Amino acid sequence: MSEPKHPEDLLPWYVNGTLAPEELRQVEAHLGACAHCRKEVALLKGLRERIRQAGAEAGPGALARQRLLRDIRKPARNRRPVWFPTVAIAATLVIALQAAIIASLWQSPSGTIVPLGSVPPQEAVLQVRFAPGATEAQIRAAIGEVHGRFVDGPGALGVYRIRLEGLGRDQREQIDRQVAWLRQQSPVIAHVEYE
Amino acid sequence: MQAEQTETDSAQDLLARIAQGETAALERFYDQYHARVYAFALSRLGNTADAADILNEVMLEVWRHANRFEGRSRPLTWVLGIAHHKAIDQLRRRKEPHVDVDEVDIPDDVPTAADALAGLEDAERVRQCVEKLSAAHRLVVHLAFYDDLSYPEIAVLADCPVGTVKTRMFHARQLLKRCLAGWTKISGQHRP
Repeated sequence: MSEPKHPEDLLPWYVNGTLAPEELRQVEAHLGACAHCRKEVALLKGLRERIRQAGAEAGPGALARQRLLRDIRKPARNRRPVWFPTVAIAATLVIALQAAIIASLWQSPSGTIVPLGSVPPQEAVLQVRFAPGATEAQIRAAIGEVHGRFVDGPGALGVYRIRLEGLGRDQREQIDRQVAWLRQQSPVIAHVEYE
Repeated sequence: MQAEQTETDSAQDLLARIAQGETAALERFYDQYHARVYAFALSRLGNTADAADILNEVMLEVWRHANRFEGRSRPLTWVLGIAHHKAIDQLRRRKEPHVDVDEVDIPDDVPTAADALAGLEDAERVRQCVEKLSAAHRLVVHLAFYDDLSYPEIAVLADCPVGTVKTRMFHARQLLKRCLAGWTKISGQHRP
């Protein structure tokens, strides 16, 4: 007698609870008699749990909500009023001024200001969001520890771009070590990603 | 299932109110769905800043076009569909391939589930194994395990036949098992 076919292709959806009633009955009947598929289900349940945990830990931050509420007050692009170009130019000037002020805050010890968006593609750059309670001294210490240099930011969501001095994109092992170390600095670093 | 139906009813009601220009309804809709949209975009783009941009664009689209929701799908599927198309646009702007290819070598030999289970103990390892998947495989895994979508819903969202969804999931599981069991090296290579 041939072995019954394993319903392998249905197991992920058995685990997430979305099978149709007939498929569910089929899988449940099979699982009662198949240790192989029960182990597969155990693995898939564990995988789902890990993926959901990782998703829950990542978040856009409170500023994302404020950004949306700000943006919905803006008129839609195709309904711009006649005064829009003037306001847009003024807003651009304000942003440029803010960028210059922020760049000056993060001046390097030698006094050189790094122009925004000037990172050559071969250099290692991280995107970092700091914890709300982090002090400037803590931030400086953490970024100094990985020989980081602020090159851009903050973005609308408080994300900064930080270049790892002396590291190229091809030095992934060292970059990963620096990222892992920053991820451990939870009182200071809220989130860090390699760009 | 009843809770899911209640959530859907509530979201449909919110969308009707958003279509009338009620900001408070958009805020509640945002509270209900922003984490799902953000996680989806992050999974597709692998970059927090881009994911935040997609979240903002999706919610703006909901605000401006809530009246386009026809109730033929769940609000979650509808909103993730918007995010999916915006992520494709973003990948196009980056000049990265947006077509989800299935031309990944799937090895014949696969460890047992028991061998792979040990790998689940290390959350970072799981994250890296998922990130190593191709965009097409990662999409199916994310929608099935993070958003709990059925395979027909994933097929609609990814615009492919249900058989393709099942095949992609099957191959993704084989690759994940090999990775979790330590049969393949995690290079840490950044996406894509």
